[in-house]
Amino acid sequence: MRSMADRRKLHLTPWTAALIAILVMLAVLFLMPTIGVLLSSIKTTRDIALGDLWSIPGQLFLGNYAEVLSNPAVHRYFVNTLIVTVPATTASIGLGVLAGYVFAKLPFRGAGILFLAIVAGMFFPPQVILVPLFRLFNGIGLIDTLWPIFLVHTALGIPICTLLMRNFFATVPNALREAAILEGASEWQVLTRVAIPLGLPALAVLATLQFTWIWNDFLWPLIFTQSDEKRTIMIGIVNLKGQYTVAWGVQGALSLIASLPTLVIFLFFQRYFIKGMTMGAVKG
Amino acid sequence: MARVTLENIRKSFGNVEVIRDVSLDIDRGEFMVFVGPSGCGKSTMLRLISGLEDVTGGTIRIGGRDVTGVAPSRRRLAMVFQSYALFPHLDVAGNIGFGLSLARTPAGEIERRVRDVAERLGIADLLTRMPRQLSGGERQRVAIGRAIIRDPEVFLFDEPLSNLDAALRVRMRLEIARLHKALDGVTMIYVTHDQTEAMTLADRIAVINQGRIEQVGSPMELYHHPANTFVAGFIGAPAMNFLDGNVDDTGAVTFAGTTIMPAQPVSHRGSATIGVRPESLRLASTGEADFVARLDHIEPLGAETLLHFDTPLTVRLNEEVPASEGDTLGLVVDRTRIHVFPP
Amino acid sequence: MERENRFWRVVLLFLPLSVFAVFVVWPLFSSFWYSFTDWNGFDPNYAFVGLDNYARIWTDRLFFGAIINTALWMAAAILLPTLLGLALALLLDRQLRGARIFKTIFYLPICLSAIVVGQIWTWIYQPDWGLLNAIISFVAGEPFTHAWLARPGSALWSVIVAWSWQQTGLSMVIYLAGLTAIPSDLLEVCDIEGASPWQRIRRVVVPLLIPSTIVVIALSVINSLKGFDILYIMTGGGPFHSSDTLAMHMYNESFKKYLMGYGSAISVVLFLIALVIIGFYFRQLKRIDEIYG
Ligand SMILES: Nc1ncnc2c1ncn2[C@@H]1O[C@H](COP(=O)(O)OP(=O)(O)O)[C@@H](O)[C@H]1O
Ligand SMILES: [Mg+2]
Repeated sequence: MRSMADRRKLHLTPWTAALIAILVMLAVLFLMPTIGVLLSSIKTTRDIALGDLWSIPGQLFLGNYAEVLSNPAVHRYFVNTLIVTVPATTASIGLGVLAGYVFAKLPFRGAGILFLAIVAGMFFPPQVILVPLFRLFNGIGLIDTLWPIFLVHTALGIPICTLLMRNFFATVPNALREAAILEGASEWQVLTRVAIPLGLPALAVLATLQFTWIWNDFLWPLIFTQSDEKRTIMIGIVNLKGQYTVAWGVQGALSLIASLPTLVIFLFFQRYFIKGMTMGAVKG
Repeated sequence: MARVTLENIRKSFGNVEVIRDVSLDIDRGEFMVFVGPSGCGKSTMLRLISGLEDVTGGTIRIGGRDVTGVAPSRRRLAMVFQSYALFPHLDVAGNIGFGLSLARTPAGEIERRVRDVAERLGIADLLTRMPRQLSGGERQRVAIGRAIIRDPEVFLFDEPLSNLDAALRVRMRLEIARLHKALDGVTMIYVTHDQTEAMTLADRIAVINQGRIEQVGSPMELYHHPANTFVAGFIGAPAMNFLDGNVDDTGAVTFAGTTIMPAQPVSHRGSATIGVRPESLRLASTGEADFVARLDHIEPLGAETLLHFDTPLTVRLNEEVPASEGDTLGLVVDRTRIHVFPP
Repeated sequence: MERENRFWRVVLLFLPLSVFAVFVVWPLFSSFWYSFTDWNGFDPNYAFVGLDNYARIWTDRLFFGAIINTALWMAAAILLPTLLGLALALLLDRQLRGARIFKTIFYLPICLSAIVVGQIWTWIYQPDWGLLNAIISFVAGEPFTHAWLARPGSALWSVIVAWSWQQTGLSMVIYLAGLTAIPSDLLEVCDIEGASPWQRIRRVVVPLLIPSTIVVIALSVINSLKGFDILYIMTGGGPFHSSDTLAMHMYNESFKKYLMGYGSAISVVLFLIALVIIGFYFRQLKRIDEIYG
């Protein structure tokens, strides 16, 4: 019986076996690149140079990690990235909450068009605004500081944050807002006491998306910073390539360490993230 | 066309037994209604018959053929879902003709048969509409259309009217009854929690409670001779009044402070639950009262009036009453309509 | 009430709208302005040069290469992850022990940055000891040393594969979410009507996943238009500009050659392409909204 029950439950048949075989093969294929880096990071440069990057090492070598973690430049990159990522994530979500709330609960004439215009901002390649922004920040002397990166990420996060928050707030019944207002709550109190607590799953989605996006970004720090003092981690990886030209293992360790924060954030928010995706995203 | 036989059907989800040893014979062309409170297992029964769920134990036969392990599509049945289950991406014609097009029926034939069915259901001018553009009643008709085009031997309905408003529900109820007459010999199995629907549609009703059949019979059989308090309380509205009572050695029944000799002899002796339907009671003229009770609340419904007494007891009258709340009134019990249920 | 609403609208919208206006809308329009100038990036004086930059586009052979590559890149970078993600979601949408682990494995690359992904895949494509050549050598039984990223014929495609590897998990997650949203009675109708597994996927599941597809494609378009980082790290647009995209070309002209005016003209073209895609997208969205609500 292929049936509803069947869509969920599987009995071990040749089909199921084939299915599992396919999945395992794909999973191995998908894991291979990551495993390669992992392997490289626990091998000595000599081993790798001998053409032995992809095999399981006889013993665990942690020298690459020690090298990376003791490098003061890496510390600086990390701190710089955090200084940009956390505030920009928070700020863009905050602004998205404000705008999303208005579009969902306080609609006005022309709100639809304005909303579309903001959401459309999501689709533009950032290169389009690169030159003017460079000139702007150059003009006010902010080039080679972290400020432009923070400001641009905050601004570019507004479309997606507004979209998701509006979609989420739209699912909060109007009656809740009206009841709170009858109780004497101000609009601000409705937002902070009713809407935001209900919106936590959506906030988790946005926190994951924005943190990952900003942490991993390469373009803006590349354009807006010049000195090594102000570089972020992704630029740092590229810069350190020169220093560790054939030290593949160190490069691998660095890549993994640089990816750790986003991995942790994802695993931490995973459940909310997938749930929130269903709620917010599917109803574009 | 086909008789449906259930033999010792069981169904468990995990270790929760949802259907417990149900056996039932449904005749060819019969309109069988499963009725019972929400969660009693009606939908599960229907899904077992359709093959959407596998039985844990027992045998299902359709037209004499053992279909217990047969795929749903090979059971020659059609199902109408509570939610209508129309495909949002197909228009009305596409929805009705879905099964035919799966079977690679030539386009011309599909079109002809779809039109045919649509005309019978009065939705021929909706064929190019999308489901979203239809009202509840129209969607219902499309769902029925998709069922009849397959020429099934057995029709399964799972609470098909529960998403409609009251007026439409009455109309669709009549249409389904008419459809059953028109589709000569087609067996229909219909699930509802609404006893009115059950009474008005059914040839026979199976009252289900906690995965068991409590009683099977024609609507009037169940109304006049309920096998137990569950059936008695479920069939008929407003529900039957139950009072603690006693049957003495002569067969006289004592309850609510009065002793009455029922018109039909009672075999049970000793303490019992006495059932009296609201329509089996009337207000007494002077001197003839069996007992008196204080009137709590009056519900005037227009054609009839419901009186709620503090006993507690509900009385249904076909006329308006001059009494007012708080009055103490005399009541008379119809001797032929006293139900005695052993404890 | 309406007066208060107006007050709150202004208060709440003020900050988001001003930030958006200053750092997104205004630069967007200035891009148009700079595309008519010969600004070089540091000189405060620059001249208005009319349509010179646009005229130059017509004679820029690299530009046309970049346009073709952008089209190729976008088509592949949208199609591959979408189809793969759909296939994975269909495979994983059942009660399977360990399904969660599979999902996490397929999703993990999304957490990695383009830089890290680029680095990983650069190693895979490495001619001498890269994994890909090692496997090919092993299967073929003779040494194979194709320099995947250093040959004009394979550079762009090699990056596209790396990109798909990273993006597939995202479309898979969205499709999985979409699959759970399909009402089970619609699938039961398929059982009763006797649809084959293939018919059920093609005639019912895939059409019902159109809302998810819209989201997947939107995200793919967004991400692939931005597809700059991974190309920058893996090929830098090379060899011989064979993997240049518009974004890459624009960066080179603006920040390597300091032709900010010309770079702006290229970005205006990029903007117009994006505009066409957005217009098309929103039209589809409206149509689909009418069907699926
Ligand atoms: N797929 C399932 N898994 C577990 N329990 C179920 C499932 N389907 C139904 N049940 C349980 O079986 C009982 C009967 O359900 P159902 O047949 O839907 O009742 P009804 O249709 O009479 O309201 C309920 O208690 C319900 O929770
Ligand atoms: Mg039910």
